Amino acid sequence: MSAEARPLPAEAWALRRATLGMWVFLATELMFFGPLFFGYWYGRLAFVDAFFAASRQTDVLLGGINTAVLLASSAFMACAVDALEAGKRRASPWLLLATAALGLAFLGIKGVEYLDDFHKGLYPGGDTRLDSGGRLFFLLYYAMTGVHALHLFIGIGVALVFAFGIARRRPALCDPGRLRVAGLYWHFVDSIWIFLYPILYLAGRSG
Amino acid sequence: MNGRRFYRRNLGVGILLMLLLAATTASAYVPMGAWNTVVNFAIAAAKIGLVAAFFMHLLDADALLRIAAAVALLMLSIFLTLASTDYLARRISPAPWQGPHVLRPSSPAR
Repeated sequence: MSAEARPLPAEAWALRRATLGMWVFLATELMFFGPLFFGYWYGRLAFVDAFFAASRQTDVLLGGINTAVLLASSAFMACAVDALEAGKRRASPWLLLATAALGLAFLGIKGVEYLDDFHKGLYPGGDTRLDSGGRLFFLLYYAMTGVHALHLFIGIGVALVFAFGIARRRPALCDPGRLRVAGLYWHFVDSIWIFLYPILYLAGRSG
Repeated sequence: MNGRRFYRRNLGVGILLMLLLAATTASAYVPMGAWNTVVNFAIAAAKIGLVAAFFMHLLDADALLRIAAAVALLMLSIFLTLASTDYLARRISPAPWQGPHVLRPSSPAR
C-alpha cells in the first residue's frame, strides 16, 4: 500500500504544520542575525589585526564555560521533549526546569562578564586604546551577545511555562508536539551561540 | 522512542558536543595562521550539525523540514555573498552615487 492511500490523522498534520511554521520562523531569525554576521565578516577582512587584538581582550574562560552551559541546556531540552513524547509526564518538567536553570546561569555569567568588560573600558567610546576596528568589534560583540541574550531570555520564559504547565497537567501544554516546536527555538538559540563563541572569543588567540 | 534509550542518545550527543568545544578552544591556541579560522568554523559547523540532526530531529524529519532549513542557510549565504561584492570591491571601484565632493582628492572628507 502506498503512503498516499493511508492519510495521516489530523493531529499529525497539525504537528507538521506547526513544525514547518517554526522552521520558517527560525529562517527569518537567521536573516535577522545575518547583517550582524556580515558586519563581522567585513570587519574581520578590513581590520583583521584590530579584530584579533580586540577578540583577545574578551574573557575566553567565561565564554567557554557559558558555551558548555548552553550545550548542556540543549541536551536537557532534548531529553525533556523526548521524555514527554514517551509519556513521562513526571520527568519532563524537571528536565525543563534544569534547562531553564542552565539558561539563567548563562545569563548570570554573561552579566558578570559585561560588568568586567565595562570596568576594563571595553565598549565603543570607552576609555581604552581601541582603534576604529576594535570599536567596531565591540559594537558587534554587544549587539550579537545582547540580541542572543534577549532570545535566550524568551526561551527561558517558554521553558518555565511548559515546566509548570506540564506539572499541573494543563492539556494545551502537555502536547508533546508543542513542546517539540518550543524546543526547536531553544536549540536554534544554542546554535547561534555555538557560532558566536569562536568568532568573538577565539579569533586571534594563537597570534 | 520508548524506554530510556533517548536519554542515552542525548547524553552521547551532549558529550560529543563538549569534546568538540574542548577541541575548538584548544586548537585556537595552536599557531596555524589562517587555518585557525578554518578549524574553528569547521568545528562550529560540526556542532551545529549535531544539534540540528539529533536535538532538532532533522535526521528523521520530513524532507520538507530539511529543505526549509537548507533554504534558510542557502539564502543567508547568497545575501552575504552579494553584499560582499559591494564591500570587497569598494576600494577598486567606488560606488557611483558618491558625490564629486567625496571623490575629489583635496576633499577633507577623505
